[in-house]
Amino acid sequence: MSQSMSQSMSQSMSQSMSQLVGSTTLETNSDPNAYAVQIRGLNYYFGQGDLRKQVLFDIDLDLLKGQIVIMTGPSGSGKTTLLTLIGALRTVREGSLKVLGQEIVGLSRAELVNVRRNIGFIFQAHNLFDSLTAAQNVEMAVELLDEWGDKRQKAIEMLSQLGLADRVDYKPSALSGGQKQRVAIARALVNQPALILADEPTAALDKKSGREVVTLMQQLAKQEGRTILMVTHDNRILDVADRIITLVDGRLETDDNLENFVNTHDPKSLDRRMFMM
Amino acid sequence: MKTPLAWLNLVHEKTRLLVAIAGVAFAVILVFMNLGFLGSLAKAASMIYSQLNAEVYLVSPQTLEISTTKAFPIERLYQAAGIAGVERVMPLYTGYLQWRNPETRTNRSIFVYGINPNDPVFVSPEIQSPENQAALRRPDTALIDRLSRPEFGPQTTGTVTEVDRRQLTIGGQYTLGGGFAADGTLIMSDQNFRRFFDPFPLRLISLGLVKLQPGADVEQVAAELRRTLPEDVLVLTRPQIIQRERDYWIGTTSTGFIFGMGVIVSCIVGVVIVYQILYTDISDHMKQYATLKAMGYRSQFLFWTVVQEAVILAVLGYIPGFAISLGLYELTLRATNGGLPIGMELGRAVHVLLLTIGMCSLSALVSVRKVIVADPAEVF
Ligand SMILES: Nc1ncnc2c1ncn2[C@@H]1O[C@H](COP(=O)(O)OP(=O)(O)O)[C@@H](O)[C@H]1O
Ligand SMILES: [Mg+2]
Repeated sequence: MSQSMSQSMSQSMSQSMSQLVGSTTLETNSDPNAYAVQIRGLNYYFGQGDLRKQVLFDIDLDLLKGQIVIMTGPSGSGKTTLLTLIGALRTVREGSLKVLGQEIVGLSRAELVNVRRNIGFIFQAHNLFDSLTAAQNVEMAVELLDEWGDKRQKAIEMLSQLGLADRVDYKPSALSGGQKQRVAIARALVNQPALILADEPTAALDKKSGREVVTLMQQLAKQEGRTILMVTHDNRILDVADRIITLVDGRLETDDNLENFVNTHDPKSLDRRMFMM
Repeated sequence: MKTPLAWLNLVHEKTRLLVAIAGVAFAVILVFMNLGFLGSLAKAASMIYSQLNAEVYLVSPQTLEISTTKAFPIERLYQAAGIAGVERVMPLYTGYLQWRNPETRTNRSIFVYGINPNDPVFVSPEIQSPENQAALRRPDTALIDRLSRPEFGPQTTGTVTEVDRRQLTIGGQYTLGGGFAADGTLIMSDQNFRRFFDPFPLRLISLGLVKLQPGADVEQVAAELRRTLPEDVLVLTRPQIIQRERDYWIGTTSTGFIFGMGVIVSCIVGVVIVYQILYTDISDHMKQYATLKAMGYRSQFLFWTVVQEAVILAVLGYIPGFAISLGLYELTLRATNGGLPIGMELGRAVHVLLLTIGMCSLSALVSVRKVIVADPAEVF
């Protein structure tokens, strides 16, 4: 990446920063209901016996409701693992992990499934069914609710908010990469989950559609007061964050609001780090 | 209505769906043909007895079925004649002769019924016609079954050919069918039978036919016969002798085993084909299924989706399989001149449909494991 490009990038970041003055990211809050996620002393290991390998070390992390938090860090540092733990996709054995006010350590598989229904997942790959239209893919999420009679209206409404009103009856094969990812986002958001977990949602997209997708996520989250935890390597989209956390070798290294993050991370070195990942 | 995911997944891959339907249809056809042959075997076994003019039958205990009888003394028949309720007793002689096709001069086994021309052994009025009655009484003359295979040659009255190195003249025709045991049949008088099967003592008979007086109780007369006659003959009512013959063909000979095996092998073929299709389909959708799990769908839902796909394949494959089997039955019936009474039966149609659904569900159970154990954490 050229010097001038990274400079212009840091400028754009600083600009958007000014809008965030007074954000409450690092304030502590004693009311437990104010948190979407509360993690204490979390350790996580892969493998058994001699092959056992610790990938997360003593993580403490609180995510305030309504925050958009970006998680960065080198490849292999455990970002995806942390996301799947918060998403109740893996079982935690050590520490405490509260998601939307509920302790999920020690829950049965069936109970974990119920926790997942309150979380919206967005993956790097869209994982849409080729056999279903955009609307049907979104409807699959609505059908998880007890009341799904109006699933088509809900799906169309959500897709329209993401600018896909004229694409609801298209199959994924007839949609562009950005459009497919927006359908996946519609599927994740249609049930209005209080917590949204996204793992590199823009990685498969070009610059422009990546930016669009993230802006849409930000707007929807801000309107509805949702919490977003997003893993990304894409430093072009850091400006949507209220808070940026960095994971290195399984440890939470920095926890900053955007302003501090940019100030403490020299654009050049920041750029280099992003590049390494 | 919930999104019909199973159906939409299947119809999305048109080629794969067609292959699956063809595979299931193929298995269905194989099953229908095997069951058809098995059924026609049972039917063929009973066919001859509905043509015989008797309610009770005497056979040697060593007799397996009508074409492989062990002879027994005719005295038993005379003894039976004295029982109350018996109207008439008639001997039947049976055996195989080598029939030479007069045109191609090739030999072929033909099944022969020897009767007393005065006895109304067969129900068919055709055999009682004056011309046929006269022909039966002529020496070295026999009636030929129209349902005999064409390989036996011309069937016109007056045709002369050689049977076991003896001249024989065709004296007339009748319609009977030889079932599984015979490609063709002849009827001749007991006197002619003795000549062709020389040396053959007419005091030993193959089958004793007991015709009852109208209104006589079949079971009662049969019981009385069993009580009176010595152990060297079996007394069987018509349903009993038919059952005995079926049991022989289906149980004792390897015929029933072969067709039964055919059904099993066909089912295995079907299971493997459907398994392949379902497995590929699941593999292709692994990420999507794992995503559904992450969204909060339970393994149960995915399990039923795969079972639904299997049942849909079963029904879609059954329909053409059934239609083609009907055609093949018709073809078989024609090819055997109606000698193989093969045909569709409602019970069989329903059974095969259930079997097909069971077969596909089994494939689903085998292939579904993969999606049940799918770990949603791995798609992240
Ligand atoms: N299923 C797994 N089994 C064993 N090790 C794993 C598994 N998934 C990830 N790891 C290891 O855990 C570490 C963290 O991985 P991950 O959470 O994917 O990192 P990131 O998303 O930050 O790149 C890596 O060293 C990786 O090799
Ligand atoms: Mg990762």
